Amino acid sequence: LVLSFFDQFLSPTFLGIPLIAVALALPWVMFPALPSQWLPNRQLLLQSWFINRFTQQLLLPLNTGGHKWALLFASLMLFLITLNMLGLLPYTFTPTTQLSLNLGLAVPLWLATVIIGLRNQTTVALGHLLPEGTPTPLIPVLVIIETISLFIRPLALGVRLTANLTAGHLLIQLIATAAFVLLPLMPTVAALTAVLLLLLTLLEVAVAMIQAYVFVLLLSLYLQENI
Amino acid sequence: MLSRLVIVSASALKGSGPLGAGLVQASRSLHTTSQSLAPVPPLPETGGKVRHGLFPEELFQLLYPKTGVTGPYMLGTGLLVYLLSKELYVINHETFAAASIGTIIVVGVKKFGPSVAAFADKLNEEKVAKAQEVKDQAISVLTQAIEDEKKEQWRVEGRSMLFDAKRNNVAMLLETNYRERLHMVTTEVKRRLEYQLALQNLHRRMEQEHLVSWVEKNVVSSITPQQEKESIAKCITDLKVLAKASQAQARA
Repeated sequence: LVLSFFDQFLSPTFLGIPLIAVALALPWVMFPALPSQWLPNRQLLLQSWFINRFTQQLLLPLNTGGHKWALLFASLMLFLITLNMLGLLPYTFTPTTQLSLNLGLAVPLWLATVIIGLRNQTTVALGHLLPEGTPTPLIPVLVIIETISLFIRPLALGVRLTANLTAGHLLIQLIATAAFVLLPLMPTVAALTAVLLLLLTLLEVAVAMIQAYVFVLLLSLYLQENI
Repeated sequence: MLSRLVIVSASALKGSGPLGAGLVQASRSLHTTSQSLAPVPPLPETGGKVRHGLFPEELFQLLYPKTGVTGPYMLGTGLLVYLLSKELYVINHETFAAASIGTIIVVGVKKFGPSVAAFADKLNEEKVAKAQEVKDQAISVLTQAIEDEKKEQWRVEGRSMLFDAKRNNVAMLLETNYRERLHMVTTEVKRRLEYQLALQNLHRRMEQEHLVSWVEKNVVSSITPQQEKESIAKCITDLKVLAKASQAQARA
């Protein structure tokens, strides 16, 4: 059984049961419901503090109509950040490396913002297609360019998340393999590679959190334009 | 978490004997207590004790009677060696990745753990402090109200003395007023009497003067010129005699 480096990204199935469903349900376990006591324990306290602060910060630039999306953004952020961070553990499968999942999250949400904008304030939403202060001869070209950029947004959102996480996991695997192979041959080089792996893992932790945040932030920005 | 449950229930069931399993089923059907939920037992303040951050203390307590202090460690080592030697766990690149992420997690928890825990505790403390402040404020307001009430009661006790003093005041005012009026009456009466006296004196004096002037006028008018000449001549002779007498006296 020869494993290629891309086998970690195969959607796992066991006896025909897609295990990605279990992987997707795992973050739900990490955030228990708040009990009805007044002073929660440290874990719940920190989790609820984080969720409150994050939602407050995210919803600052949005007007009251955008506050309806608070639950969606908060839950999306928690979902993505938990999936990303859990994927850094060994022998785990990260669902967010699947383009299908990320596009499945990005396209409906982006489309929702566009449709809301076009329904409620059609002229303003269409007006976003032309930046202010453009010289008159450039208008047709610029409208086309802005439309393309509008339609590329969901693709960018999905592919950004997928590419970052996939690249990160691949790099971790490559460098770990290099360290593993070099260990009997040139131990010092293997030690340096191990140090590199440590730094890379640190970077991956940061990337995991940042990519989740960027996904939700961009969606909130698209909402801000259109609400 | 689940392992702890298994261990605790295992040790509990072991002690209950052969009836253990049956009792678990039986207690659900017989109503022996009133099944009231209050008073609720207090919640534990800290989480379950763990050793080395992962292994619950109950495992060590479970194995202690049979294998002593080193028992669980031997179990862990043996398990690890078994897995490695039988290649049930194969060392591959993922092991390195596991080592690196494990290092990062352990270092992170050791370094930032206390400060994060202190932060969480501070959040709770602030919440408790706010409620405590409200309670303390209410208590202080009520204590202040009690003191004010006591002071009012003391004031009420003193009020009778106040009334006595006021009564004295009023009596003195009345007395003063009466004395003043008495004085005024005396003065007025004296004035009127003096007026009458002055009037009588004036009257008598005017009578006297009138009488005197009348007498003088009559006397002067009754002096005839003859009498006047005679009296003047007499006066001159008298004066001469007197002058002589005095001259004689001066020489002597």
